[in-house]
Amino acid sequence: MSVLEARDITKTFREGAETVPVLNGVSLELHPGEVVALEGPSGSGKTTLLSIVGCILTPTNGSLTVNGNHVDPKRPERLPEVRKKSIGFVFQQFNLFPALTAAENVEYALNVKGIRGREAQKEADRVLDAVGLGDRKNFLPRDMSGGQKQRVAVARALAGRPPILLADEPTANLDSHVGMQVLEMFKDLAKKEDRALLIVTHDPKVRTISDRVLKIEDGRLV
Amino acid sequence: MAVDLARKNLLHDKLRFFITVMGVAFAVTLVFVQVGLFLGLLRNATTVIEHMSADLWVTSKNTPNVDFAHTFPESYVQRVKSVPGVEKAENLILTFAQISLPTGAQESVQIYCMKNFTDWNLPWNYEGNIEDLRRGPYFMLDSSAVKRFGTFQVGDYREIIDNRMQIIGRTKEAVSFTTTPLAFLDYDRMQALSPALLRNRTSYIVVKVAPGADIETVRREIRSRMPYNDVWTKQEWADRSRSYWVVNTGLGLNMVLTVFLGVLVGVVVVAQTLYTSTMEHLKEFGTVKAIGGSNGDIYKILGEQAVISALAGFAVGTAMAFGMRPLMAKADLHLIIPQQFLAIVLIGTVVMCLAASMLSFKKIAGIDPALVFRA
Repeated sequence: MSVLEARDITKTFREGAETVPVLNGVSLELHPGEVVALEGPSGSGKTTLLSIVGCILTPTNGSLTVNGNHVDPKRPERLPEVRKKSIGFVFQQFNLFPALTAAENVEYALNVKGIRGREAQKEADRVLDAVGLGDRKNFLPRDMSGGQKQRVAVARALAGRPPILLADEPTANLDSHVGMQVLEMFKDLAKKEDRALLIVTHDPKVRTISDRVLKIEDGRLV
Repeated sequence: MAVDLARKNLLHDKLRFFITVMGVAFAVTLVFVQVGLFLGLLRNATTVIEHMSADLWVTSKNTPNVDFAHTFPESYVQRVKSVPGVEKAENLILTFAQISLPTGAQESVQIYCMKNFTDWNLPWNYEGNIEDLRRGPYFMLDSSAVKRFGTFQVGDYREIIDNRMQIIGRTKEAVSFTTTPLAFLDYDRMQALSPALLRNRTSYIVVKVAPGADIETVRREIRSRMPYNDVWTKQEWADRSRSYWVVNTGLGLNMVLTVFLGVLVGVVVVAQTLYTSTMEHLKEFGTVKAIGGSNGDIYKILGEQAVISALAGFAVGTAMAFGMRPLMAKADLHLIIPQQFLAIVLIGTVVMCLAASMLSFKKIAGIDPALVFRA
């Protein structure tokens, strides 16, 4: 049983009078505990596909089912609710809140999901311990290394136990050694907690931790 | 407890927060000082009315305020005294006169004249024996006259309308809106000093209503017996006097414009800093959206930041205004800040900052959460 199913997804953007196709009939499935790498050259549509399966953008055509729920492209106002319940993101630039400590960054994401107070604190402690930052909970992002920041971002994605984890170039801002450590940890946690993990990447190291590798070129999976 | 991203973001950039707070604070101070000084001046306009124990004031027809009195026959006081419910009534002359100073200069002085000052609590704060005024060419002068007339001592002599008179007492807090110093002189002596204008004439009749009598009924009866005069209650007369200065002189409009400018400065400062802050945190707001937050969640952040800025700015601005009070008092400027006005400015400041934050709302509504994927 898949936690994410995309069928014949197409996406076009308007550029002035022209319609530019970015995705042309892409289909993919993600299963619990599965790690999938999505590779492709710049401009191939990787990030657009990630945005659509992450319920940030709606497809022009095609169907999307997330965690058993059909996502209606005509109701974009419902997308935040799907993201809140089912998806955890890790970004290339970490995108941590600079004014919040590691623990607060995670707790804030939980607050957005509707989890507050003691329950949020316990969950934040759990995921920060899981990524090996139990002793850095009260550090601000500016006082952490790139690897530590990305671990906080991973912890934030894991918090609240969303069934789908989406990562956009998670190693792009890390050196090779640290990048590998983060990937290994991310994979282990995803598998341990039975989450589906889709990683959009240029980094060949990602292949080594993936169960499947998808390649996208000119808006099609090849 | 939820993580307070709004507060933490706001306090994270302390310099920006300081600038925002000071912008609001200066706007608040400006409003307090302008309106407070205006209220202080207005209090001067009615301070005599409010301290005197008269319940009703009989004035000549259409007298615009207490300072601009016109005379009418003093014998009318007998008609007033005959009205049932009147406990006592007395003539009161208010006139401007020339006073010659030791320097050789001449200035104007505003003189209140009665036969029985003590019966009417006029003046209300003084040194000396007010009863002595009727015993010779004497007068009392308010301490505030020092600024216009120079220093003076009890026992000094001055010339009023070319008549040498001795200062036998010093009053305090007796001031007028016109800033002309106030003096107190016996009623009969004043008429003798200026017979052409004041013989057998008075400026006002002040009335004390008997205990248990209905002021409105007494007023109605006086009006029916004196159709060519006006009869005001104490409150009405004070309101009319204040209203004259506010409406007829343009001072009210001046104050409204100043308050408007103060609010405008506040709105511009807050709107500018919040908008710049929003632009700088655009990616963070994109992240909030990406992790499932709605526009509403971000509006709440901006709204909370606006309220925090408003409250901090109000506190600093109020402290600055109150801190300036003693300094202004030294210059005889009274800053009056009533509690209701404090509440109005507090609410106004919050509304002003929330309105300013709305400039950023449009930007937030247009944030594409996909921007979180851009390097």
